[in-house]
Amino acid sequence: MNLLAEAVGFGLVDAAVIALAAVGLSLQVSVTNFINFAYGDFMSFGAYVTYAANAAGLNFFPSVAVGAAGTGLLGVISNWVVFRPLMRRKSRTLILLICTVGLSFIVQNAIVMIWGPNAEHYSVTVGNALHLGPFLFTPGDLILIGVAFTLLLALHLFMQNTKFGTALRATSNNDDLAQACGIDTGRVVMWTWAISGMLCAVAGVGLALETNSLRPTTGFNELFVVFGAIILGGIGRVYGAMLGALVIGILTEVSAMFISPVYSGALAFTVVIVVLLLRPQGLLPSRGRSA
Amino acid sequence: MLYFIADLLALGAINAIMAVGLNLQYGQAGILNFTYYTFVAIGAYIGAVTTMGHPPVPASEETFILQWNLPWPVALVLAGAVAGVLGLFMVLVVIRRLRSDYLAIVTVSLGFIVWDLITNYVPLFNGANGLFNVPYILNGATASEITYTLEVFGVAMVVLAVCVWVVRSIFRSPYGRVLRAIREDEVVAASFGKATTSSRVWAFVLGCVMAGLAGALLVFYVNAWNPQGFLAEESFILMAAIVIGGPGNYWGAVLGTFVFVELLSEIERYLPNFGNGALVGAGRAVLIGIVLIVVIRFRPDGLIPERWLRWYRVPAGGGQGGAAGSQSRGEPRRRLGWPWLGQRSEI
Repeated sequence: MNLLAEAVGFGLVDAAVIALAAVGLSLQVSVTNFINFAYGDFMSFGAYVTYAANAAGLNFFPSVAVGAAGTGLLGVISNWVVFRPLMRRKSRTLILLICTVGLSFIVQNAIVMIWGPNAEHYSVTVGNALHLGPFLFTPGDLILIGVAFTLLLALHLFMQNTKFGTALRATSNNDDLAQACGIDTGRVVMWTWAISGMLCAVAGVGLALETNSLRPTTGFNELFVVFGAIILGGIGRVYGAMLGALVIGILTEVSAMFISPVYSGALAFTVVIVVLLLRPQGLLPSRGRSA
Repeated sequence: MLYFIADLLALGAINAIMAVGLNLQYGQAGILNFTYYTFVAIGAYIGAVTTMGHPPVPASEETFILQWNLPWPVALVLAGAVAGVLGLFMVLVVIRRLRSDYLAIVTVSLGFIVWDLITNYVPLFNGANGLFNVPYILNGATASEITYTLEVFGVAMVVLAVCVWVVRSIFRSPYGRVLRAIREDEVVAASFGKATTSSRVWAFVLGCVMAGLAGALLVFYVNAWNPQGFLAEESFILMAAIVIGGPGNYWGAVLGTFVFVELLSEIERYLPNFGNGALVGAGRAVLIGIVLIVVIRFRPDGLIPERWLRWYRVPAGGGQGGAAGSQSRGEPRRRLGWPWLGQRSEI
């Protein structure tokens, strides 16, 4: 029972990382309507920029802010250079998807070229584990969960209570109609890339902290877990992505108790495929619009 | 130098088989298969375990299934068949219910599951260490390296010829037109009473068979195979090469694969290592990514568009009916030159 609680606790930490990334990706998918294979590499990029800023002498938390800003900028630039021209041409989803694969090559290998292929470490660590009730958390875990919770709450308030949030939701619902209502959808798309980039940078830093190593492939390897979360939640549905992250995070940790942990990734994918086949609209009941 | 060219030719022929197969799936049937290399790997493993017999070096402690001692042509056919069956199983599960982009995610996920199982379940194909000492085919055990390379090249060319012949027949047959119609718009094709699902399923399976054949040839040539040989990246690069070369057109696919999968990696092997040790390999991938995006942006039909195969058979203003005829009707015949300014249409 104790082991189970600990596994659930680890799952919560995983879920915090996955949720940040999944919400960012879900936001982007809901607005742009294509899935981004380069998103995992954006995560690595954010983590590496943070690493560089930290190595240059900045404290850790300001470094994360620098990493987030850098990744947001990367998102905006890639939208501007790669995706906006294609979306103007009304390219098919398939084409955009292949473009994101190309972008993934570029970002991942540019990281290799700049920072080298070997694993790096942050100067800070997650600290020693503490017993909190039945759970086993490190101070780093708690900060990570807190940061994830705060950011997602802030995003929720932003989406629901600001004019821009309303514009964003309208664009994701129907961009032609939004444009007809006078919403500058181009600007909304640009800011969506920025926000999703920032969220995924924080997720990337969390991932590198938790695994205590940062490689150029760190984000890419996590990408499919993030896909799993957004598929479970229903593609393009931001709140579903949070639920999906929770399910995937806890599932992979708890399943490691019963089957060899090397297969937990395969198990997560199997669940994803089964859900995609049986409930393509995700776990949550659909509200008219299913992605 | 001579060996370098022979090696290039042999690998080129094997890669061309993959290109033709993947192109059938993506270029003709419009199925985005991001895990094509998994089928290559299955072919390689089956080709290996059906020819290796008991572990050739007992002390090596290789464990794998079957341990048959079949002649290599049988193993080759078997490799294609197993890859095809796996492809059939996979495509039947997913094709009916999913939009093309989710299908792409599912293919990657399934590929990862297969990779995970093969890597971690040692009794199957010797796990992460992979298989080595796969026997040579023909007289490879005694022949010189260059002779063997040329022999493999010959065998691969025969297989390639068969594959190209099959794809050509499909391309020109009514079935090929149905496939392209589905690729352009599945709903329209279905409303004309075409069996859209089964058409795509068979195109996918044929493509997987070709992957299996290529994989078996590859393992006969390099004599070893392990899970590092079929990471997701390999499939992505292959797909990128097809898109750059020109999907829907096997010449473009073969050319793209030759240049981007093979020539670049061979050149990379002969470049001195500088910088942080991975600079050259990473530079190649960045180059592929940039070329991919530039091509999609400015030349969405790829470097050799599908229509090149059509315009010389379809006279302007006339034609054999169907999509090809109606598209080229009334179009000026200026594309006899290097058609950089040809009419743009989506892939």
